[in-house]
Amino acid sequence: MNSGAKRWLLLAIVVAFVTSCFSASFNRYYLGVAIDVGISTIMAVSLNLINGHTGQFSLGHAGFMAVGGFTAARLTLTLSSSAPPDSAQGIALFVVAMLFGGLTAAITGLAVGLPSLRLRGDYLAIVTLGFGEIIRVVFQTSETFGAATGLTGIPKQTTLFWAMSVAAVTVYVVACLVNSTYGRGFIAVHDDEVAASAMGISPTRYKVTAFVIGAFFAGVAGALYAHHKQVLKPDGFDFMKSIDYVVMVILGGMGRTAGVIIAAVLLTVLPEFLRGFAEYRMIIYSLLIIALMLLRPQGLFAFQKKSQTRS
Amino acid sequence: MSMPLLHLDQVTIRFGGLTAVGEVDLTIGANELVGLIGPNGAGKTTVFNLITGVYQPTSGAITFNGQTTSQLKPYQLTKLGIARTFQNIRLFASLSVFDNVRAAVQVHRDHGIRNALWRGQAFRDGEAAVEKQVMELLEIFDLGQFRDEEAKSLPYGNQRRLEIVRALATKPKLLLLDEPAAGMNPTEKAELTKLIRFIKDKFQIAVLLVEHDMQVVMGICERIAVLDYGVKIAEGTPTEVRANPKVIEAYLGE
Ligand SMILES: Nc1ncnc2c1ncn2[C@@H]1O[C@H](COP(=O)(O)OP(=O)(O)OP(=O)(O)O)[C@@H](O)[C@H]1O
Ligand SMILES: [Mg+2]
Repeated sequence: MNSGAKRWLLLAIVVAFVTSCFSASFNRYYLGVAIDVGISTIMAVSLNLINGHTGQFSLGHAGFMAVGGFTAARLTLTLSSSAPPDSAQGIALFVVAMLFGGLTAAITGLAVGLPSLRLRGDYLAIVTLGFGEIIRVVFQTSETFGAATGLTGIPKQTTLFWAMSVAAVTVYVVACLVNSTYGRGFIAVHDDEVAASAMGISPTRYKVTAFVIGAFFAGVAGALYAHHKQVLKPDGFDFMKSIDYVVMVILGGMGRTAGVIIAAVLLTVLPEFLRGFAEYRMIIYSLLIIALMLLRPQGLFAFQKKSQTRS
Repeated sequence: MSMPLLHLDQVTIRFGGLTAVGEVDLTIGANELVGLIGPNGAGKTTVFNLITGVYQPTSGAITFNGQTTSQLKPYQLTKLGIARTFQNIRLFASLSVFDNVRAAVQVHRDHGIRNALWRGQAFRDGEAAVEKQVMELLEIFDLGQFRDEEAKSLPYGNQRRLEIVRALATKPKLLLLDEPAAGMNPTEKAELTKLIRFIKDKFQIAVLLVEHDMQVVMGICERIAVLDYGVKIAEGTPTEVRANPKVIEAYLGE
């Protein structure tokens, strides 16, 4: 892929920009769904680095999204409270808030991942599960973050451009990392930690790296989400939300970026369109997942075995 | 012999009540080819796991290249120059033949993340150098034509050889081979014997070979150490070891 990758990223951002220029004429509802799709893609592709490529099992991705969302929104609200910024300042502040959200999530990821990733097996699943719940309670009780009501009145800054561009950057980063000599280490750790270690690859280092990068993008996705929905409630980031992303990664076929993007799009769009059948929605949704599971068992049960073709 | 490459000094490891390896002394010089034999369960693989840092000895000390290895992790020891293969093949199952070796090549490279993300000239040069290095190794071992195949789809003998190539890709000073001839037919065994000698000469490294096939061991090893119940019962040239009554007893009593 080499420099072709950079060209691809540039193209994706240009497309996002051009599309965004016409977004005023779009149906507002569909526009909202399109932004949701971008955010889901960021979440699923970044989780795929951890759960797919590196073979770990994190159940706390929504927790990192919450950390990024709340800290970014808090920053925006605090800095724009005295005097509302003009539009250029607003955008600059938004970019800073996204990076800030990503960084706080990454630091949290380091704090959670470092002790638990040293251990083998399912410790990470248990620890991240607990982390997701704890972080929710922390936000629920913290006055700084609006306690149970959460944060409201967050300026609407997330446009289709930002959602698509950040999604493109996430795909670029994950794909470029994995598709390099360095990145073969993630998959080596996924396949066999003992052998990886004997080849000079530090499993802990790779696992923590994947985890921190994954958490960073989840944090940025949280910031996008906060400045999209304009309200942020701790309840919204429960265990089920983490499971949504885990399902996207599994359905997409652990470690296959293209598949995971498709799963993220489908599982974000379909529930929206099934909203009309509200009472049947969950049934249809479950049947769909079952059908997908049956049609793509290799996507579902690919924890250990997987073909070598990856992108 | 000048400073030995590897030195085990009274190395012991106990698992609960079982002394898997007891007070073993072993010295390997640079570019020496030493055999380690013994009946099933004698502790040979455990010695490998001690040398490579998978286990820490209960007592005793291991020095590699003049440096004590205690507390070093397996991947750190690989960086220092110890590489190994596994008794039950442990290739990276979802990676291609090429990528199995490529994953091992990156030990001695740095700036991995930055280059991989920036994808500039340094990255392209680096990847080209890696490709050249990997292909050279694969070609030496006649595995070049399988480069894009899944490692696990190779026939058994080739998987064993790929594991050796992967270990060599880390540029070791000492190569530990754990029963490389297991499951091979006589022709493959004969080829393997030649291959091990060739590796030792071409890469100028030391080899410690665990092998049940006596023809292979006796044919190539300059010196052989014999373990039984975790204890070293004999050491010497193949002729000496073969004639040693303790060794005969250990094998007959198996
Ligand atoms: N992690 C462990 N925990 C407990 N016991 C162990 C462990 N590793 C090895 N052992 C025991 O140590 C002894 C030596 O095992 P080891 O695998 O080193 O033998 P070996 O000489 O390689 O045998 P083989 O020829 O069958 O490969 C065996 O009794 C084995 O059960
Ligand atoms: Mg063994």
